[in-house]
Amino acid sequence: MATCTGCSLLCEDIEAELSGGKLSKVKNLCRKGHGHFQSAFSERTVPMIDGKEVDLDRAIARAAEILRSAKSPLLFGWSNSTLEAQNVGISLAEKLDATIDDTSSFCQGILMERILSGSIPTCTLDDVRNYADVSIFWGADPSSSHPRHLSRFSYYPRGDKRQKSYEEERTCMVVDVRMSATATLCKDYLFRVPLGGDAEFMEAILSVLEGKIPRLGDKKKMIELGGLLKKTEWGAIFPGLGMVYSLQDNMEVFERLIARLNEITTFKVVPMVGHFNMRGFNELLREKTGYINRVSFKGGVAVHGPEQSVMAAAKTCDAALVVGSDPLSSLPFGTARALARLPLIAIDPRRSLTTDAAEVVIPAAISGLEAGGTAVRMDGVKIKFEPIIKADLPTDEQILSRIMEAI
Amino acid sequence: MVGLEVSIVTVRDIFQDEAGRHSRFSEDYRSKSAVIILDRQDLGSLGAKEGDLIAVENDIGSVVVAAVASHDDAHPGLAIMYNSPWSNQLVPEAVSQSSIPGFKSIRATVQPAEGSAAVTDISAIFSRIKG
Repeated sequence: MATCTGCSLLCEDIEAELSGGKLSKVKNLCRKGHGHFQSAFSERTVPMIDGKEVDLDRAIARAAEILRSAKSPLLFGWSNSTLEAQNVGISLAEKLDATIDDTSSFCQGILMERILSGSIPTCTLDDVRNYADVSIFWGADPSSSHPRHLSRFSYYPRGDKRQKSYEEERTCMVVDVRMSATATLCKDYLFRVPLGGDAEFMEAILSVLEGKIPRLGDKKKMIELGGLLKKTEWGAIFPGLGMVYSLQDNMEVFERLIARLNEITTFKVVPMVGHFNMRGFNELLREKTGYINRVSFKGGVAVHGPEQSVMAAAKTCDAALVVGSDPLSSLPFGTARALARLPLIAIDPRRSLTTDAAEVVIPAAISGLEAGGTAVRMDGVKIKFEPIIKADLPTDEQILSRIMEAI
Repeated sequence: MVGLEVSIVTVRDIFQDEAGRHSRFSEDYRSKSAVIILDRQDLGSLGAKEGDLIAVENDIGSVVVAAVASHDDAHPGLAIMYNSPWSNQLVPEAVSQSSIPGFKSIRATVQPAEGSAAVTDISAIFSRIKG
């Protein structure tokens, strides 16, 4: 069995044969996972300096030289690397007095902070499979982002206490601004919020739970939702970026809603983390510094704040190392342009806008396919995996260790 | 033609994600990323139909993408793009104390692209980023 590192569900039941540049005898891979496995055979990187192919040793030496001479380097990415590689990355940041940040900085970070500090109750996905009678996808569309979430954990499986499953015992709800692919599966339980209106919607639920008439939206529908929440035996809420981006600085209203629901019944929260080991990085950095992301080690002290976010640091640092991420594709134009103007080192198995812009490109083995290691699933469960393709490529961990030795 | 002001929400799409995993530089990825899903009435008010090219512009940038007619209930003024280098040309940087960019709250003007326009190519986006 192989583990799919295509998303943070880290499905461990994958059967596949990959050889001779082909994927065959595939079982249990979703469409997204299939794309991830196929990616081993396309757009692979080679060691490069200034667009010219070089040997690996030269690329690593040049990367070390850039980082050594930088006064305030930024080390970014990490969510697609194993815990072992992340650990070396954090040590490298300490050694360089660098700023380190990961994709949670513009993703689930503000929610993950609360999960890891215990201010929002959470559970494992195995608990969800065994106990949940209500699953709420809030600003999340697992049919697109985590395709096997519903079949493995939250809706279709027959869990210990939910043998009658989706036919009788489970209800799936969606809160969204639109009819998402997931919402089409449970149309009667789609609760629409206006764009940016999640906080008001939560206040309206809190009113309904107090027996008041909500001031927002379809009153009948809100009262129906209040009734469903009160009748829930064991509920799980899965917030996606739709909810996180809508609330942003107003996460307190979500904490209040969850606290109120838990006075009535049981409700747990599991953020819909995107990349396969974002949570691993957050846990590891928190263990070492007390902060989940956005840390500067300048002066030997861990400092955390918005100034240390990739968005801000891209404009103040003087070199950047990007590991397993494509910020030039995934970040706003202003940040992407700032990063592209820096001496840029990209460690990546595959070609991207970021590798095309990088002064130094270092190819790496794909974690989960060509490199083994450990990662943390979206719900905090640690998963260990072995490589399933033999590749003559260094892992992120090995590359980072060699850079560190050379500095 | 006077443009129409819309709020753009970016979302994920499994087909576009799969295409991006094969190649960020492919025609397949471009055709699945460089689209804007518009309310049917909004599309009509622009005098456009599904597949027509639409110029999407704000003070951060502009792209030309293909129109897709929404199958959802009416949502005038709300448009949807898939998270991609095309949508990111329009995304405002920090919009709150949390310093999270406005990926899901992009204000922009949409209008039918000029006759000679083509869908923005990934190489044009790369050149703009590189400056």
